[in-house]
Amino acid sequence: MILNTLKKESKELFREGRIRIAFIFVITLTITAVFISAWHYKDINEEYVFAKQSEREIWDNQGEKNPHSAAHYGTYAFKPKYPLALIDQGVDKYTGTSIFLEAHKRNEAQFDEASDQTGLARFGNLTPDFVLMFIIPLLIILIAYNSLTKEKEMGTITLLNSQGAIGFKLIFGKWLAIFLPLFVLLFVLFTVSGIILSSLPDFGIFSWLSLAILFLTYVVYYAIFINLVLIISGLVKKSGIALVLSLSFWILVCLILPKTASNIAEYKHPYPTKQEFAANITKDKKEGLDGHNPWSEASKALAKQVLKEYGVDSLSQLPFNYDGYRMQKGEEHEAEIYFKHYKKLKIQHSNQSRIYRQLASISPFLPTRFLSMSIANTDYTTHWHFADAAENYRIETQKFLNEHFAKESKYGDWSWKANADFWKQLPKFNYKPPTLSEILKRNTGNILILLCWLLGSFAVLFLTTKSLKNVKV
Amino acid sequence: MILTNNLTKSYGGLTALDALNLEVKEGEIYCLLGANGAGKTTTINLLLGFLKPTSGRAFINKLDVVEHSKLTKQYLAYIPENLMLYPSLNAIENLDYFSGIANKSFNKKTLQSILTEAGLQESAFYKPVSKYSKGMRQKVGVAIALAKDAKVLLLDEPTSGLDPKASFEFGKLLQKLRQKGVATLMATHDLFRAKEVATTIGIMKDGQLKQQWHVDDISLSDLEKNYLETMSYNTIEL
Repeated sequence: MILNTLKKESKELFREGRIRIAFIFVITLTITAVFISAWHYKDINEEYVFAKQSEREIWDNQGEKNPHSAAHYGTYAFKPKYPLALIDQGVDKYTGTSIFLEAHKRNEAQFDEASDQTGLARFGNLTPDFVLMFIIPLLIILIAYNSLTKEKEMGTITLLNSQGAIGFKLIFGKWLAIFLPLFVLLFVLFTVSGIILSSLPDFGIFSWLSLAILFLTYVVYYAIFINLVLIISGLVKKSGIALVLSLSFWILVCLILPKTASNIAEYKHPYPTKQEFAANITKDKKEGLDGHNPWSEASKALAKQVLKEYGVDSLSQLPFNYDGYRMQKGEEHEAEIYFKHYKKLKIQHSNQSRIYRQLASISPFLPTRFLSMSIANTDYTTHWHFADAAENYRIETQKFLNEHFAKESKYGDWSWKANADFWKQLPKFNYKPPTLSEILKRNTGNILILLCWLLGSFAVLFLTTKSLKNVKV
Repeated sequence: MILTNNLTKSYGGLTALDALNLEVKEGEIYCLLGANGAGKTTTINLLLGFLKPTSGRAFINKLDVVEHSKLTKQYLAYIPENLMLYPSLNAIENLDYFSGIANKSFNKKTLQSILTEAGLQESAFYKPVSKYSKGMRQKVGVAIALAKDAKVLLLDEPTSGLDPKASFEFGKLLQKLRQKGVATLMATHDLFRAKEVATTIGIMKDGQLKQQWHVDDISLSDLEKNYLETMSYNTIEL
């Protein structure tokens, strides 16, 4: 009965003009989105490789220079464009692509794509994730809204019942007829994306397994959507009402709830403004050691402590350049301040994520969105991960420079310059994004919520089959 | 094959069917006459298991329709007043699907021969049923019953709205099924067709079976007279 219904439903679906048009529209949209994203990805990829190489060349070829001058001269940490961003661009557009690494200061990522665009960017870009998250659920509604209501409206349900149709087999046949074309569409989209990505020079982080799990995430999302639309179609009598209810549901879960979640999260756990954040850091910095200011109380106390520790009377008697030592201690103090304040931001981020997870129980869109962005390495957590790695690299760089300055020069000799070959000894910034297992572990909550939605919606759909038995002549 | 025993259905204070006792044996056609609301469709709904009786019992092939709801459906076929099929599918596809629902599987040649047996023209086999007349759809309905090899046929005003030729052809089909031993219960307003095809005729009013005859025991004019009297119509005024 299941296969029979699948065959019949498929014939009916593809003989209907509106379905054919909708499929052609979605396929065209998907191909266009993948093409645009691939082209964009290739561009960004080339820019990334070029910028990374050029910046390193500039760093390596600074010539003779005081290490602290080099520390202020700074360098950049570039965020790679992750291969799966081709499918889900996530928040990449807003988070910035590079971080300027300099002495004394942790900088935010800059050169975000959104600020380079005109006001028209407010309309959003055509990306595969837009098609996957918003358009395909609409296609599901278009295909499935009258799947059961039409049987009631036409009266075929009575003939089916008289033939001994079994409700859940009938519905499962219909379910498969809706699911399979979408599955094929999705499979082709992901396979083509995988082939494109594997043929592009990546950064060693593209994996077919990640792509497969992203694919599964969307498969589950659509299965849930099909279930919900079929439940509505099974419970109401008129196709028009089923369509309105299904569209209302789409508006609620895909548009209203994510925005509401964002508002609630920001209201309950607000981030400090940039001014507040900067002012708090400046205040803390002032209260501690400033590597540049040997006259501050903190500097004097440090000098006293070092003299005592080494058992000498003056700083020039120390076996290293105290200026470099003080600079390093100042860096360490500032790094702690940044760590403290960024930790507060991360706590707020984690609180906000908790609100999203809570609201995810009433919208399958949210866990899918977060899981998709995480697997694609385009979520805020991955951005934090990159920013932290860049900050660690900045701290290590400062230590490398200050220690060289302290070890190789004499106290008070600010005119001392490091050898031109010295800069090449600085290890390169090699960022490794979170592994797939780390991502999945971090998203256990989202995975569980999505599975609950899947099983719960199947259970309700199963119960809905009972309503079909009560249709009378 | 069909047996009802004090079959009653009430909705609150309203009795739609009141202690109905009737029997349709193998190879018999029982025509239930009566005005709208007489209880004919309620009887069919109860036999189909779409409704549960308030009291009394109904049997299909000696099986209680409430206790053996799924099993009894294996033996029966149902053709409503307006048989609705899937409009974008053709007759072969519709027949194939509905047969499949009843766990019957046929090759294309067999499906064609069943449709031919049901009286559908060969030229219509592959046309979408959206282009079919009501009579043609009813023939597909008969084909579905034939394919199912149904022992019991429940018909709810199947000739309503058919032109005389189509109605006549439908009657002939019922006779053919009767010869195969199918027990048919047909609710109808069509006295002429009832007299033509039935073996037994009953008249219902207010949920009760008021009168019942073997077809040979009553003429068409007497049937009409009895029907009108039962319905309390004034024949002169009419």
